[in-house]
Amino acid sequence: MKELVRLEHVHKMYPMGRSTVHALNDVSFVVREGEYVAVMGPSGSGKSTLLNLLGCLDRPSSGRYVLGGRDVSQLDDPALSEIRGQHVGFVFQSFNLISQLTVLANIEVPLFYQGLPRRERHPRSRELAGQVGLGNRLDHRPAELSGGQQQRVAIARALANDPLLLLADEPTGNLDSRTSMEILDLLDELSRRARTIIMVTHEDHVAGRAHRIIQMRDGQIHSDIDRQRPEPSG
Amino acid sequence: MKVIYKVTDIVLLGFRSLTTHKVRSLLAILSILFGVWSVIAMLAINEGARYEAEQSLRQMGTDKFLIQSLKPPQDRGAAQQTGRALYYGLTRADHRRLSESLPGLLGEVAGHETRKFAQYGTRLVPVRVFGTDPSYLQLRGLRVAAGRFLSAADELRCRNVCVMTQSLARRLFGYEDPLISVVRLGGESFDVVGLVDTPGGSTPEVPADLVSNLVYVPASTERTRFGEYSILRTTGSFEAERVEVSQIIFHMADERAVLAGAKIAESILQREHESPDYEINVPLDKILQLQRQRRLWNIMFFAIASISLLVGAIGIANIMLASVTERTREIGIRRALGAKRRDITVQFLVEAVTLTTGGGLMGIVLGFVVPPIVQAVLKVTAILSPPMLMVPFLMAVAVGLVSGLYPAMRAARLDPITALRHE
Repeated sequence: MKELVRLEHVHKMYPMGRSTVHALNDVSFVVREGEYVAVMGPSGSGKSTLLNLLGCLDRPSSGRYVLGGRDVSQLDDPALSEIRGQHVGFVFQSFNLISQLTVLANIEVPLFYQGLPRRERHPRSRELAGQVGLGNRLDHRPAELSGGQQQRVAIARALANDPLLLLADEPTGNLDSRTSMEILDLLDELSRRARTIIMVTHEDHVAGRAHRIIQMRDGQIHSDIDRQRPEPSG
Repeated sequence: MKVIYKVTDIVLLGFRSLTTHKVRSLLAILSILFGVWSVIAMLAINEGARYEAEQSLRQMGTDKFLIQSLKPPQDRGAAQQTGRALYYGLTRADHRRLSESLPGLLGEVAGHETRKFAQYGTRLVPVRVFGTDPSYLQLRGLRVAAGRFLSAADELRCRNVCVMTQSLARRLFGYEDPLISVVRLGGESFDVVGLVDTPGGSTPEVPADLVSNLVYVPASTERTRFGEYSILRTTGSFEAERVEVSQIIFHMADERAVLAGAKIAESILQREHESPDYEINVPLDKILQLQRQRRLWNIMFFAIASISLLVGAIGIANIMLASVTERTREIGIRRALGAKRRDITVQFLVEAVTLTTGGGLMGIVLGFVVPPIVQAVLKVTAILSPPMLMVPFLMAVAVGLVSGLYPAMRAARLDPITALRHE
């Protein structure tokens, strides 16, 4: 499979008061197209920072990040916005839907910033809402939906721009176990259809859905286990 | 093409978020509305005042100027002491000289004024008797209200006819018809042949109760019946004056000729007269002066009214800042989903400009009720003109841009990661 994400010796430092926090310390890995990766680790291990970097919300302090064959590690803000809008889909723990907008309008937001005309946006967002099983709730506001339904809307929204990379930050963190299952099933389904997914979680059973588990500790990769290949013995 | 879609969509987005906070938006709009309204009211009232002042000057016409004899103030005491006639003012020689030397002169008319008493029955009213030619009617811009003005035949035959102002006729004749009446002026009987409106413009040295007590008689009649002396009797003293010509009106070809002519007349008269016993009155000059003055007033009024707009602008900025804080998370979401800083800036700017433009438009609509209200309550003229409406409207739009810019830029500068975590 083609290489989609390549991190090379990535460091990320934050100033915090007088000291600096070394959130990512020499992280390198490669994700190929169609992979389903779970990033695990205790809080403060750098997994959120990693996800922000992967989603082009942030830039590495040093090192290289190549997304879809393009080095994006030193791009400026408008260029990064462009990449987020075109190639990245975000699913958040707290759904992050815009409360004033209807389901349909929420799904359309990424298309909106792509400059897609209304008549092209509508059918696309309708179709996506159908795919996540919300075809009959198009005109509802987020507050009128259950948590599971809201997360489905968020997933539909993340898919609107047909992203290279789907990033999920604790997607089931705010859901009960039954709805969590539904959401994970949905992600499985997307993975089967060759969508590349990188998911941050701290729950083993959630991570268990992924094909590959990266364990982070103190800003470094502690282990990187590909479960589709036989695990190395010992 | 893509950009156009995006821009119109972001504008629509800005509109939509305003409707989610209806009361807040309405209050913001009101603050601008009253600002715009007060600017319009100020401008309209000021314009009305200017119009009224100009109107009375324009009655005589901007293509004319007028020279009047003026009693030199320093001689007043001396004349009273000696009791001898005071000789001053324009002379027939002045009249002739000016008529021959002013370039661009189309016509001129002179008049001579004496103070008399008009008597009708038992009623006795002090009046100014003004002997002049028929052309005075047109050159002075008088309006005949009834009957006719003096004619060439009156002048030729030294007829004892007169034309008087309507207000004087009312005082003398009450409800009787003045046009079939005979009035006695300084011992002579005069047929009243016409009534005119009281002329506007300045009349120096005329006591207030005499301003509209004006009787016009043929110049020839006036000269032969009354002469050039006028004797003013007051209790315990008497005063005699001799004036050859009281007033000359010059009708010039154009406004340039008016200004030039007045200057030439000034220099000629300065040479001939030792004391300033005349006054050159140029309505055009006064109008220009008035306009300059008004411009200054306009700026001041405008500045005062602008303060209320400024207050509105601060209100808008405040509301927009609150809105930005409140919607930090939404901004983070939009940024994560591909919105550029510029997109966020435009969204919030559109909101601010929509608020102020809405207020501006409503202020203009309300502005149309300014003239009738002002006229009814303050009894002064207020005039609205389209440029007057454009100014506050553009100001409102500008206020939106200025007051929205800082909040919008603050929104755009938010770090998406921090904004997403905002509760």
